Amino acid sequence: MAEIHFEGVSKVYGDGTRAVNDLDLAIGEGEFMVFVGPSGCGKTTALRMVAGLEEITDGTILIGDRVMNHVSPKDRDIAMVFQNYALYPHMTVEQNLAFGLKLHKISKPEIARRVHEAAAALNLDQHLQRKPKALSGGQRQRVALGRAIVREPAVFLMDEPLSNLDAALRVQTRGEILTLQKRLGTTTIYVTHDQVEAMTMGDRIAVMREGVLQQQGTPEELYTRPVNTFVATFIGSPAMNVVPAPVLKLGSDSSLVGFRPEHIRVGPALNGSVGFNAGVEVVEYLGDEQLAHLRLGELSLVAKLPVADHVEPGTAAAFAVSREALLFFAVDTGFLTDPPS
Amino acid sequence: MTVLPFRRKQRAYEARQQGLVLDDDWHRPSVKWGLGTAHVLLLVLLVIVGLGPILWLFKSAITTTQDTIVSPMALFPHGIAWSNLTDAWNNLDVGLYLKNTVVVAIGSWISAIFIATTGAYALSVLQPRFGKVIMAALLTTLFVPAVVLLVPLYVEVVDPPFIHHSFAGNYFAIWLPESANAFNVVLMKRFFDNLPREIFEAARIDGCGPFRLFFNIVIPMSRPILGVVSIFAILASFKDYLWPLLVLGDTNANLQTVAVHLPQIEPFTPLGDFLAALALSALVPIVGFLIFQRGFLRGTGLSGALKG
Repeated sequence: MAEIHFEGVSKVYGDGTRAVNDLDLAIGEGEFMVFVGPSGCGKTTALRMVAGLEEITDGTILIGDRVMNHVSPKDRDIAMVFQNYALYPHMTVEQNLAFGLKLHKISKPEIARRVHEAAAALNLDQHLQRKPKALSGGQRQRVALGRAIVREPAVFLMDEPLSNLDAALRVQTRGEILTLQKRLGTTTIYVTHDQVEAMTMGDRIAVMREGVLQQQGTPEELYTRPVNTFVATFIGSPAMNVVPAPVLKLGSDSSLVGFRPEHIRVGPALNGSVGFNAGVEVVEYLGDEQLAHLRLGELSLVAKLPVADHVEPGTAAAFAVSREALLFFAVDTGFLTDPPS
Repeated sequence: MTVLPFRRKQRAYEARQQGLVLDDDWHRPSVKWGLGTAHVLLLVLLVIVGLGPILWLFKSAITTTQDTIVSPMALFPHGIAWSNLTDAWNNLDVGLYLKNTVVVAIGSWISAIFIATTGAYALSVLQPRFGKVIMAALLTTLFVPAVVLLVPLYVEVVDPPFIHHSFAGNYFAIWLPESANAFNVVLMKRFFDNLPREIFEAARIDGCGPFRLFFNIVIPMSRPILGVVSIFAILASFKDYLWPLLVLGDTNANLQTVAVHLPQIEPFTPLGDFLAALALSALVPIVGFLIFQRGFLRGTGLSGALKG
């Protein structure tokens, strides 16, 4: 277990592309930190800089109290799980798990103990003598996880480890990773572009965009108090509705107002809420709830409604949102502002 | 015992599925008879063109000289002359020259593999500062005809820079130039370029330095291309005539290879014995290829390494 500190870390490639820009972030001991953002936002580059697979252009990365800028990957006391598994194809599962330990000159009995413990924890004990090509995708990903676990490192680095699994297996493996991480208490950085994965797994989440850290905090903080429209619309599914304030007869042209789909209810505005009339375009029935796609002039909105509410596609209806649920953002910067008085 | 036919059937089925003609189409009479006949004809043609000369050689190796001269294309000779083989072995010293050839081939193979793998590893994985320039220079040498290099290479072997000790009349005169084969390096580099970098990164995090990465990860993953380069190197040295003739010379005949020795003795040797000697010489690379081709050409490859 170790803390990780990014202090003014930047990464500029040879062609001038600034992949990570002045990143300041502290990750606590045993914490599960998720880097999330769209493709090309710099999250994987930040992770690879911690791993030592990318040189740092500017700033300092510390693991524990050691500056890691020029330390070789093998000496950083880290283990990494790759998106594409990156297993050694010519080695059996057992050899894959033991390889790193042998290189670190761990004794044979200790290697055997760790390998068999990890194999048991990941349900791989029946497959130890198989080669990766004889395993399913889920089993290969578990071998990749096992290879990280047996090292007993100070830090786990995971680069979109679930993105190649099908939906059901992803949910299952997500649970397995969380259980393992909590049991081992190892500081973890987990990179994903899937905000649902980020919300369900992370103790804290760092949202990145174009190399810049937008916001970091607990999933609840990011969901309820996004600092700008990017975070507001990136976190949460369906995304937050963000409309110009005058559309809801609130504030001036310089404000945007945001509200979550689940905060919209059917019916006229009561005290303490604002109302609007919108056309219902499409209704998606999800079993326990329904998503209504609304048309408000030129704007598209999404409402998450109880299935008991009858909304017919092709009709218009009155909708309302509680004022307490509204967030205001500046039009020019996109940053969260105070509500208009 | 029932597993093998099942596997064969399955493989045949998979092969049909990969072809352009679908399995269902094979049931149509026009496809079945038309393509079936074409297949058989093609197979017969390939056997005649590809296997024919080798079979003729082995047949002639055990045919009397008179029979071969009178009716060279006869399928069945008048009696079998096993004595050709023993005469070739005892009187023509085929054993000695075969041994020489094997020594030359093994040395050339080791030096070719050593330079091809280390050179390609440096250019592809370690990527030195002027790697692209070196690669361009290597590619340039591929466009120079080998015969043009004969004289400069000979000068270099006879009076190598810094060492100034002639390698002529010595197997190093063959082994060293064989190692400097740009084609092998380029071939190997192209293969290394396609090995997934994530595996190298995983190995680096696991604790591999450049040497361990080379020996524990890159080489075991490169069995198919090692096989290809091995076959090229061994066959090239087995059949090479001009260079061994030039650097080993006539003075020390005990060092010569079969490819040089046999043409030299041909005018003074009975045809039956000579063909028997040729057959014995051809047997070694053919048997070697049949033994090793499965392991070489299939290899473990990359299956299972990555999500694919």
